[in-house]
Amino acid sequence: MPGFDFSNYNRNAALHARGVPLPKATSTGTTIVGCIFDGGVVIAADTRATSGPIVADKNCEKLHYIAPQIWCAGAGTAADTEFTTSLISSQLELHSLSTDRKPRVVTCMTMLKQHLFRYQGHIGAYLVVAGVDPTGTHLFTVHAHGSTDKLPYVTMGSGSLAAMSVFETQWKGSLTEQDAVNLCSEAIQAGIFNDLGSGSNVDVAIITKDKTTLKRNHIKPNERSKKLKSYAFERGTTAVLKEKIITKKELGRFVDIEEVEPEGEKMDVDT
Amino acid sequence: MFMARSEYDRGINTFSPEGRLFQVEYSLEAIKLGSTAIGVATSSGVILGVEKRVTSTLIETSSVEKIVEIDRHIGCAMSGLQADARSMVEHARVECQSHAFNFNEKLRVESCTQAICDLALRFGESADGEERIMSRPFGVALLIAGVDEDGPQLYHAEPSGTFYRYDAKAIGSGSEGAQAELQNEYHKSLTIEDAETLVLKTLKQVMEEKLDSKNVQLASVTKERGFRIYTDEEMAEVVARLPAN
Amino acid sequence: MSALFSQNPLMNGPNYSFSDTPVSHPNEAHGELREHRFNPYTDNGGSTLAIAGADFAIVAGDTRLTSGYSIHTRYSPKVFKIGGTTADQKDATIVLSVVGFAADGTALRERLDAACKMYRYRHGKPMSVNAAAKRLSTMLYQKRFFPYYVYAILAGLDEEGKGAVYSYDPVGSYEREMCRAGGAAASLIMPFLDNQVNFKNQHIPGSGEGHAIQEREKKPLLREQVEILVKDAFDGAVERHIEVGDGLQMMVITSQGVEEHYLPLKKD
Repeated sequence: MPGFDFSNYNRNAALHARGVPLPKATSTGTTIVGCIFDGGVVIAADTRATSGPIVADKNCEKLHYIAPQIWCAGAGTAADTEFTTSLISSQLELHSLSTDRKPRVVTCMTMLKQHLFRYQGHIGAYLVVAGVDPTGTHLFTVHAHGSTDKLPYVTMGSGSLAAMSVFETQWKGSLTEQDAVNLCSEAIQAGIFNDLGSGSNVDVAIITKDKTTLKRNHIKPNERSKKLKSYAFERGTTAVLKEKIITKKELGRFVDIEEVEPEGEKMDVDT
Repeated sequence: MFMARSEYDRGINTFSPEGRLFQVEYSLEAIKLGSTAIGVATSSGVILGVEKRVTSTLIETSSVEKIVEIDRHIGCAMSGLQADARSMVEHARVECQSHAFNFNEKLRVESCTQAICDLALRFGESADGEERIMSRPFGVALLIAGVDEDGPQLYHAEPSGTFYRYDAKAIGSGSEGAQAELQNEYHKSLTIEDAETLVLKTLKQVMEEKLDSKNVQLASVTKERGFRIYTDEEMAEVVARLPAN
Repeated sequence: MSALFSQNPLMNGPNYSFSDTPVSHPNEAHGELREHRFNPYTDNGGSTLAIAGADFAIVAGDTRLTSGYSIHTRYSPKVFKIGGTTADQKDATIVLSVVGFAADGTALRERLDAACKMYRYRHGKPMSVNAAAKRLSTMLYQKRFFPYYVYAILAGLDEEGKGAVYSYDPVGSYEREMCRAGGAAASLIMPFLDNQVNFKNQHIPGSGEGHAIQEREKKPLLREQVEILVKDAFDGAVERHIEVGDGLQMMVITSQGVEEHYLPLKKD
């Protein structure tokens, strides 16, 4: 891989030695789980991203695509889970193309652990890897230092204990798909309600031999209540100290202007 | 009181078989040797007055201090061993300051009196953990005058640690005669000026020397001006007001 | 997941600067060993809020008690009645809220309540808010070098019957204010209060150009309006602060006494 840019390393080390704190990365707290059932595997995650005690994103996605039949749930540093999974996804795609075979879950897991081990835990990605390939259904966990586990049900993140308590009391061998989805959802909700690092909604991905179903916001147990009054200000409430208007026509002298309809997820804005 | 001497008047905290604490009772006698002090409470303020007992013409009369300030809203007059009064007044002053520091408000007159009386019984052998500060009871009584949210008030505090609130009270050597006079003359609708005259008139009757503006001292506590010791001019003015007998 | 690093200096502590930056552990920089010391304090999270009205005061606090990422309990009150004559404080007229280290909060509450009782015995009258406010300040300052790790807010009605709110720092500096937020989400709630209670940054539309524009006239809010602001403030804080949630406890102090309300908050 192209590798990281270390050009600021010495400067930052010097700053840190003088007492300047490290910048705070998003999301360390999370609840992610996975569970094998007869015919496939389910993974699930909460949707809270935090920066210290502040909720940075109330509805983020922690289920990452690796391959059509391999998905990953990520806990730890948001950027690390995001980049590590997409990097391995690319490599696995290339590997699949050159071998002309469907990618295997073990391959994915091995690439992840080798990548993470190389960085000695500095890449803070804690992952649950799940998928179905020609060799069967698989479920793994990968820790930031490079260790892995293979288990029928797994939990990770700061809510892992809350979630595991659900598995340890309710899990049984040979579950139906619906049972597995319910069990994973319960486990995530245990994390959402009992771990401060986790919150908001439950995302679920179901992977079987034939297809992958991503249930974004499968359960939404934390809808915001309606505000009791409107906080819309009358026009003119804010003092205007200086005004400068640049018309679209003027701007057109420097750049090409094209009208685009807004698309994608609507931003959460208060009115 | 004048019974045969017994061993019960030696131990400071020993009750006699009749249930008396002789040392405390003797301390009350000490006050009867003191100069007369009078306090009169009216609805608009309290007047304190003392005789100065100028025993020598060489005494600088202004150095005889028998009325002192405790806080801006409380003052007191004393009769008995003046030196003892100093430690009581010091204690009361500290208590007032501490209350203002802790609660951002004036200490009530009754609370101040109580604080002084709490000190009165801290003599003799100490109880466990409590600091003993005195070897004998105080030999002084105080008339404590002050104004708080309940209006002007006058208290009398004794070495026995008991205190009562009075409309008018006299202590010291001339107290018996003075109290009788106050009993006759006091009424609820006295003005401050009336009270000034009443105090001086009463003092005049019980004093051995002839009263003039130098051998008596007045002080007042009012809501408006707080505690104030009368200046020589003010004293002269009040003395001039007295009916000549 | 767009916000990688917060640009808020308050949230992240000092940002990059050079020689004037305090070194967090002087010995650590030189590679020396540091003695590991017992830390007597814990941050138990939570948030409080108080607003004074013309003839009332409202004190509110969430009821979650946390440490780290754990919830210890979903109902641990942070707002207390102080200075009543009975154990259930039903005739109390002063309300104290404490947030920060819960154990210190409890200790401080008990001490102030005991002080109120002693005051009543000694002086034969209940303590005024003004007096209680000063007493609390001296209590905090007495522990200047081993402070009570709490942000306290005291509220009641003053001698004229007007709503009074006093806020404190952990070592006893205090001030009477119209409103104050304390604790974990104080930095989220306080700007909202500045804008909605004291009408900061609000102007009268069309009343002037540029700097000449007139500020919106300040007037005390009605009780109903304040209750709405309190609920919305906490709903907002719950959305964005992980240590705030579970329940909202609200005390309303009027000349009739102290009313207590409880409302559920989100539990995630």
